[in-house]
Amino acid sequence: MKRIRLCLCLLLAAALLLSACGRSDGAGGVTLTVMGKASDLGKPYLTRLFQLYQDATGQRIKLISYEDAEFETRAARDLAEGRVPDILLHFHNADLNRYNVAADFLYLEDQAWISDLTDSALAYCTDSGGHLLGLPFWESSVSGCYYNKTLLDRLGLKAAASQEEFNMLCQVLAESGYTPICWPAGGCAWMPQFALDPVFADDPDTLDRLNRGELCYGDIPAVADFVRWVQTAAESGWFGKDYSSTGWDDISSQLSSGQAVMTFIWDTWFYTDFTGGTYTVDDFALMPAFMGTAEEGTFEGGNLNMMMVCKAGPHVQEALDFLSFCAAPENYNAAFDGISTVSCFRGQTSNIQSPMVTDAQAAIAEHERVSTAASKIVGYSAEDVMDALNAMLRGETDAAGCVERMDNYRLEEIALQNAGT
Amino acid sequence: MKKQLRKISSLLLVFLVIAAVILISSVYFRYISRRIYEDSTRSLDEIYSQVNRSFSAFVERNWGLLESWENAGVFSEDEEALSVFLEKEQAYWGFTAFRFLSGAGGSLSPDGTAESLDLGDALDTLKQGEPVMAGATLSSGKEVTLFAVPVGRRSYRDFSYDAVAVAYTNTDLAGSLNVDAFSGEARCFVIRGDGQVLLSTQAGGGVFSNYLVYLRAVSDLSEEQLAALARDWENGRQGLVRCEIGGDSQVILYQNLGYPDTIMLSSVPLSAISAGFLSVQKATTNVLLVIFLMLGATAVVLLLLRSSRQSRKNRLELQYRERMFDVLSNSVDDIFITLNIADKRVDYISPNIERLLGIPVEEARKDIRVLEKCTVNTDVVIPQTVLDTIPLNSSQYWEYEYMHQNTGERRWYRMTVYHMSIQEARKYIFVLSDRTVEQRMNQQLQEALTAAQSANTAKSNFLSNMSHDIRTPMNAIVGFSVLLEKSADEPDKVREYTRKITASSQHLLSLINDVLDMSKIESGKTSLNVDRFSLPEMLEELNIIVMPQAKAKQQDFAIHVHGAPPEHLMGDRLRLNQILLNLLSNAVKYTPEGGRIDFTVSPLPGPGQQYARLRFVVKDNGIGMSEEFLKTVFDPFSREINSVTNKIQGTGLGMAITKNLVDLMGGIIQVESAPGQGSCFTVELSFLLPEQEEAASWYRSKVTRMLVADDEEDICLSIRELMRDSGVDVACVTGGAAAVEMAVTAWQRGEGFHVILLDWKMPDLDGVEAARRIRAQVGDQVPILVLTSYDWSDIEAEARQAGIDAFMPKPFFVSTFWETIRPLFPEEPTAEAAEPPADSAGVLEGRRFLAAEDNELNAEILTEMLDMEGASCQVAVNGLQALELFQSSLPGTYDMILMDVQMPVMNGYEAARAIRACGHPQAASIPIVAMTANAFAEDVRNALDAGMDGHLSKPINMDTVREMVGKLLKEGKRA
Repeated sequence: MKRIRLCLCLLLAAALLLSACGRSDGAGGVTLTVMGKASDLGKPYLTRLFQLYQDATGQRIKLISYEDAEFETRAARDLAEGRVPDILLHFHNADLNRYNVAADFLYLEDQAWISDLTDSALAYCTDSGGHLLGLPFWESSVSGCYYNKTLLDRLGLKAAASQEEFNMLCQVLAESGYTPICWPAGGCAWMPQFALDPVFADDPDTLDRLNRGELCYGDIPAVADFVRWVQTAAESGWFGKDYSSTGWDDISSQLSSGQAVMTFIWDTWFYTDFTGGTYTVDDFALMPAFMGTAEEGTFEGGNLNMMMVCKAGPHVQEALDFLSFCAAPENYNAAFDGISTVSCFRGQTSNIQSPMVTDAQAAIAEHERVSTAASKIVGYSAEDVMDALNAMLRGETDAAGCVERMDNYRLEEIALQNAGT
Repeated sequence: MKKQLRKISSLLLVFLVIAAVILISSVYFRYISRRIYEDSTRSLDEIYSQVNRSFSAFVERNWGLLESWENAGVFSEDEEALSVFLEKEQAYWGFTAFRFLSGAGGSLSPDGTAESLDLGDALDTLKQGEPVMAGATLSSGKEVTLFAVPVGRRSYRDFSYDAVAVAYTNTDLAGSLNVDAFSGEARCFVIRGDGQVLLSTQAGGGVFSNYLVYLRAVSDLSEEQLAALARDWENGRQGLVRCEIGGDSQVILYQNLGYPDTIMLSSVPLSAISAGFLSVQKATTNVLLVIFLMLGATAVVLLLLRSSRQSRKNRLELQYRERMFDVLSNSVDDIFITLNIADKRVDYISPNIERLLGIPVEEARKDIRVLEKCTVNTDVVIPQTVLDTIPLNSSQYWEYEYMHQNTGERRWYRMTVYHMSIQEARKYIFVLSDRTVEQRMNQQLQEALTAAQSANTAKSNFLSNMSHDIRTPMNAIVGFSVLLEKSADEPDKVREYTRKITASSQHLLSLINDVLDMSKIESGKTSLNVDRFSLPEMLEELNIIVMPQAKAKQQDFAIHVHGAPPEHLMGDRLRLNQILLNLLSNAVKYTPEGGRIDFTVSPLPGPGQQYARLRFVVKDNGIGMSEEFLKTVFDPFSREINSVTNKIQGTGLGMAITKNLVDLMGGIIQVESAPGQGSCFTVELSFLLPEQEEAASWYRSKVTRMLVADDEEDICLSIRELMRDSGVDVACVTGGAAAVEMAVTAWQRGEGFHVILLDWKMPDLDGVEAARRIRAQVGDQVPILVLTSYDWSDIEAEARQAGIDAFMPKPFFVSTFWETIRPLFPEEPTAEAAEPPADSAGVLEGRRFLAAEDNELNAEILTEMLDMEGASCQVAVNGLQALELFQSSLPGTYDMILMDVQMPVMNGYEAARAIRACGHPQAASIPIVAMTANAFAEDVRNALDAGMDGHLSKPINMDTVREMVGKLLKEGKRA
């Protein structure tokens, strides 16, 4: 009896042990490695998604995170040296020249979920050859000119509908003692791309010729128009007096205090970085960005992170399965439930869209352009463009010189990228 | 004062002119500004009235167009035709859109697109049958202005409408209303009565939504002003208001557009309105500026001309004054310098500085401190700090000795520094006045005073010394006289005391002689007794006198003769002897025992063939003299005072007498000495050469070869040189042995020397021994002489025994040599040999003297002393008595007359002359010898001139008397 009882106990222990082993690497026993920026991987909708996946499939998600500043360098090095994750979480299709995209990642245009992606989202995740590089899964926003509508009402003014009106608005605001535009020259590298998007989004041929080296910025009048507008704005006091020392952290205070009336930014910024003061998020509204290029103004569509599948990853199929899991409406709606963002998926319904975007929906629909300059111009560097502009504003060069600098920087970057590859 | 008032008046006038110009300009500009503003606003009003009329016409045209269509029944046509018609009309009239309007606010486009338009109160107006103009936003977002007219209810594509409207985008409409006044800076709006902006004529003006709100927010208008403005707008009134927006002045002009609740508003920056004024102002300002500049330039030119004239006048005046001052200063020996204190610049410097101090004017002008260079004693240059202490309008002076930079002449200047303020500029005025004459006068007075004081001191010292020096022998004389009286019975003591009394008396006598001699010299009564004399004799005498003194102090004394001085000279031998003896006596006196004294005589190039110049050098290694004393060594009554000299008797007159005698003889005397280093006196004198006497020639056939032996080769060579003219061949050797060898060898060759001259003291073999050896081999034929500077009396016997024939004193003189050897050649006997030398001993015995002596004591001494010599003496108390005694005496009564000079009744000279002329048989032949206390040469000469034959100085020395009598007898003066 005792012997029987002992055998039963041993059998029970063995069963428990086998049971444990099967959970870790059995049918759902794969551990997928996801590499990304530390700040990105911590987003609540991603956390929620990873948990849903693990709960639903029994697979494990292992996160490999790097500090934001060193992410691109270390991720590219890991891939080059064979430390390949299953999935790379990357900021849409920009700055992929560090990688050998064709060799490192799977093209995903054959995936079923592609039809559920919004056009805007699709544009962000497709390379110049039309290949879908990843699954967009990110909080998206609309960039444009966000303005203090309360203040404008109080001044008997209203939003501009054209470049002329915008200039007039800036002029009147400046005359009234306000800083029309918060232009943080020390930390607003994203702004110039809003101006350049219409130039290249509306004329893909110009973009292609630029990338082929047949043109340079100096050959494109709209680029010079933008540069001159920046120069005029600065000289007319539309950026205020201290714009050269204004940085990222100053945008919120200047807008909330009413010191500045407008800025070029995206809607989710108001929910993540804006701290209200005299004015809160409800006091702001969205109008197109007028920066000397498009008379009717422009909006830039949402910027997205996308999940890319590494060809050399240990679990390629599981990674594709994971992307399909993410693209399932029940899963992405669960993940983005209550999150303020524009939609990446056509079936996305649980997210919250900001009133500013909603109110400007008609204008957005008419004037929105895909982020083209930053993502499509080979060798484009937001910081380089800003550096050239700042040099002009410091009086080190004129508008033509500024355009020339922009070109030189771009060509240098291309040379650098070519050397790297 | 008057000038200052005029200056103030001018300034006041200028100020008033400027103030008037500013005031007039201000009034003028205010007037222009107001006029231009009024013209501008009127112009603006006119412009916008025109715009208003144009816009009204535009509105009327659109309403009229719609009404014409209504009246023409266009809207009753079928839809297709209507659509074609409208498209055609739109293309023609240029409106943006056509709309059918329902009373509920709905609208329909000709293509059937429905949209809701917010027309607000305009719908009510339409319902009332009135046309309207209203703003709206189309579904495309375009902001438009609708011009609508009511029509009867109709339908189009099943849309019931009550009115029709044409719409213009506000942009297009604004373009048609654009007012390009004031350089496009004017903003023009069409607003509602509540301020709502219907449209703006300006590009971008669409951002204004409500102008009243805008003004309330950004302008400086008060609520009352804003309320008034709102009332104007609501009531369709026109008006104008000025306000500040964003720091700029704006002029807001508004007027009713001709329709209810429709206002045309224009906002123009005041700067745009004032542009014209500013232009005028600028032009006016430029004109005024040019006028003022021209006036100013004219004034400046006039002032400059006046200033130039004044400056030229001042400059000429200054030049004139400077020139005059230059001329004046050139005629005086005062230097004038003006120095500006602030920048240390020389304003003026009189040109005579170059003449007086040798400093170029320009050099002094560049840096006045160049004066310091001329100051003899640069330590006394006035420092700046001292100058700073001179109060304003005061002066201070200093006296400096300056040296002329070119000539080196030194002159004294009094530098007076005046501290002045000239036209508020502080200045120093330096006046350098020549005070050389005064300074030198003061200096001479001071020197004279010092000399007088010094002389007084010297005489006081002399008296003190003399008192001591006289009292000392006097004390001995008196003391030993007392002892003599008490020891009369003791012959040895008597002799001893008598000898000491005699010595003291001699010393006392020498003192008195010095004093008298000096007194004579100083009184200028000294004269020279020039006569022929023999230099060798004089040197021998000196040697005889000095050698014993030197020997007594174990001193080495030597006389050296360099070269070939003439042996006979014309001069005052006595004074020369006195000079040299003084020097030599002092040398002996001030040279310690064992010292050395060298007396050297050497000829110098003479002033002519008739003259010979000799240098006498007395050099000792005695105590020497201090540098200080050297300065006064030749001054009378001066003696160096120290522990050594204090023990040496002297009057302090010896060197003074010597110096005066040398001066009297036309020579120079110099001395070099240092304490402990001995002294060296050099006397250089010129002597007339006597006529050449025929030289003795007796030796020519007897002496042709001569041997000289002296260990000093110079002496040998000197002798050879001296003997060259005599035709004697002199062979020289420098040792005794060599002399022996040469003498013997020559003798053996048959060429023996005729004379051999041997130095006494030679290192290897002395002269005596050498003579002995020569005699031993050569025999007695050749005369052998010993040449020595020593007293040979001690060795004379031994020397003669050794074969020495004669002795010759050093230095060697040719004449002495011949005189010495002449007796050695018997064929030519000398006069002296024929007549034995006179012996003065007993020469007085039996002689009879007539002595004229007024002093009874002296007469008694003389009588006693002559008596002691075996002579008799009759005394006369004066010259007359002596004359009478002589006249009354028988021939042969007296052998000699001793004549005192200073006597009452008849002095000695008169008596001597009287005796010589008295006719007594012995009147011419009897020797008359003067006896005086005056021992000077002129006393001797006076005595001789009076017919006397000799002179004896008191006190009478019997040796001298004997010598005198012997001499007179020898000369044939025999009684």
